[in-house]
Amino acid sequence: MRPWPRSLTTRLALLFALLTAILLVVVVLVQGRAVEEHLRELDDQELTGKVTLIKNLLHRAELSENLPRRLDDAFIGHDMLGVVLRNAEGRVVYGIRPENFGEPQLDDDAVLDVTTIWEKGGKQYIGLQTTVDALDFWSRPTRLRALIGLDISHQVRFLEQVRKRLWIDIFFGAIIAALFALFAAHSGLAPLRRMTATARGLSAKHLGERLAERDAPTEVRDLVIAFNDMLERLDSSFRRLSDFSADIAHELRTPISNLMTQTEVALSHTRSPDEYREVLASNLEEYERIARMVSDMLFIAQAEEGRLPKATEAVNLADEGRALIDFYEALADEKGVQIVIAGEASVTADRLMIRRALSNLLSNALRHSLTGSSVEISIANRASLATLAVKNYGDTIPSDQLSQIFERFHRASPERHRHGESAGLGLAITRSIIEMHGGHIEVTSEAGVTIFILHLPLAAAVSPANT
Amino acid sequence: MKILIVEDEPKMGDYLRKGLLEAGFVVDLARDGLDGLHLALSGDYDLIVLDVMLPSLDGWGVLKTVRRSGHEMPVLFLTARDGVEDRVRGLELGADDYLVKPFAFSELLARVRTLLRRGRSQEVETLRAADLELDLLRRRVSRAGVRIDLTAKEFALLELLLRRQGQVLPRSLIASQVWDMNFDSDTNVIDVAVRRLRVKVDEPFEPKVIRTVRGMGYVLEVPESP
Repeated sequence: MRPWPRSLTTRLALLFALLTAILLVVVVLVQGRAVEEHLRELDDQELTGKVTLIKNLLHRAELSENLPRRLDDAFIGHDMLGVVLRNAEGRVVYGIRPENFGEPQLDDDAVLDVTTIWEKGGKQYIGLQTTVDALDFWSRPTRLRALIGLDISHQVRFLEQVRKRLWIDIFFGAIIAALFALFAAHSGLAPLRRMTATARGLSAKHLGERLAERDAPTEVRDLVIAFNDMLERLDSSFRRLSDFSADIAHELRTPISNLMTQTEVALSHTRSPDEYREVLASNLEEYERIARMVSDMLFIAQAEEGRLPKATEAVNLADEGRALIDFYEALADEKGVQIVIAGEASVTADRLMIRRALSNLLSNALRHSLTGSSVEISIANRASLATLAVKNYGDTIPSDQLSQIFERFHRASPERHRHGESAGLGLAITRSIIEMHGGHIEVTSEAGVTIFILHLPLAAAVSPANT
Repeated sequence: MKILIVEDEPKMGDYLRKGLLEAGFVVDLARDGLDGLHLALSGDYDLIVLDVMLPSLDGWGVLKTVRRSGHEMPVLFLTARDGVEDRVRGLELGADDYLVKPFAFSELLARVRTLLRRGRSQEVETLRAADLELDLLRRRVSRAGVRIDLTAKEFALLELLLRRQGQVLPRSLIASQVWDMNFDSDTNVIDVAVRRLRVKVDEPFEPKVIRTVRGMGYVLEVPESP
């Protein structure tokens, strides 16, 4: 069981109602307390007033026959008041509404001058006991005990009614607050519903749509941005996927039609074993091309999807460069090209993949180098990046082709296709590998000098002192 | 040498059998997992070529049971999925090597021979073909008694060709064995390297021992005298 309902609107409404109720209760308690205290204060003043009155009356008169009458006169109109005067022996010398007092109040040992509240006969009283100086029959000073009580039942009843009333008010107030909150939350969350509606309209075909970031309330803007980012990634993945299918279908068409044609022609007449062998060997070459293309495409797809393992091995770029020079030396020699290498840097990477990426760059550089020129590999540490540049001297790549050179199946010149060379995936593979390792690749080509530059994050632990 | 092929794809199975028979092996072919397992457990095979995607019982199941029953023969598995998990899983289950479809038959043959040779290394000091001699200890090469100077890589290339005499070596295998380039690299490099080696060890002499097999690779063999 969830403690809270799923709906935000309901949650907000309930929360708001609860908080309002708590607030009202606190206000009522505090105010009620204040009112009660105020009333008590008034009662105290009244009591004190009566005590003073009795004291004054008694002070000026001896306990004569007419004292009760004078007291009666003084208390006319004070229906709430009860008074009992007792002499030192405890005899009651005067009483008005003495039935207001109970045993505990009449007790001789009761504490003097302390206001107490009691209940008798379903009514509430407040009162105190004090001593009053007077003269007795013989005009001797004597001390009387005065018990004064005020009927405050009407106050208590009033307070109770007010309290009851307030509780009802709080209850309805909370309900009204909940309704307000429901309305406020409902209209406040309207942007969310609009977003939902937009999101619902999205499908694979309409991945280009985005949620409006500027209209989104601040609270959900991050969500909108994250959502849009996700759409962006989905969109580009989808596009890549369909590009991938289109590319591969297109590129497969050539070798397959070669295969079909030459096989059909070969089968249309009886031929010598040598001729058959020739056809089969030629077929094999086409098959190899297809197989290689498929595995390269898969490699790129996996790299772009991030499905290839990321090794965290420290790879020394200079070592890899030297190993590759070793590999390409013979080929370079044939072309009269020299490969040189300078610099040092280590990156955290998958060694095999880095080697493959560099191999493609070198192979590309050699292919486009002028006889007698050199291919220069230079490695450097720059801030947190290792850079590796491969420079070759040859034809300038037209600037409009530079941006596409890393795209799949891009070829600088179409006729190379005919020679069964790489299907134009080498540089795409290199880019995939570099990007997979968190780096990037760029190329410049000016005045016959073409430079490919790799930027890769330096190996954290093994990076040599910055130079 | 007895080899078991477990492969459900009919053409693939037939041609693998044919190719391996012609390479001089005794070959049995099973067309599904259960048959393959039955044969693997009852026959005495030196090596199993095992497809992963099989009806009735997949390659992993076959491999697991074969290994659990204590058979130690090398297993080369074939997979159409170039997933890393597949490779790791196969090797963890006790396979010895793998090939991703599509592969070159010459590559398969080379791997099969490597696996069969494993554990039975007869260390030789000198490799020979006709009058070509390669001294492994002193790292010297001579032909018809004439000393030939080779670079380190040329020496390694010739050593590979001599060790695998009579076997067609695909370019990718040569790149991997001699230069440690374990990926589809520029195969022109291999052509150039072999050409240079030929200039040194083959061209001035008779008979020519290094032969190009079109579409497949290179082989070093002494031609039968006519």
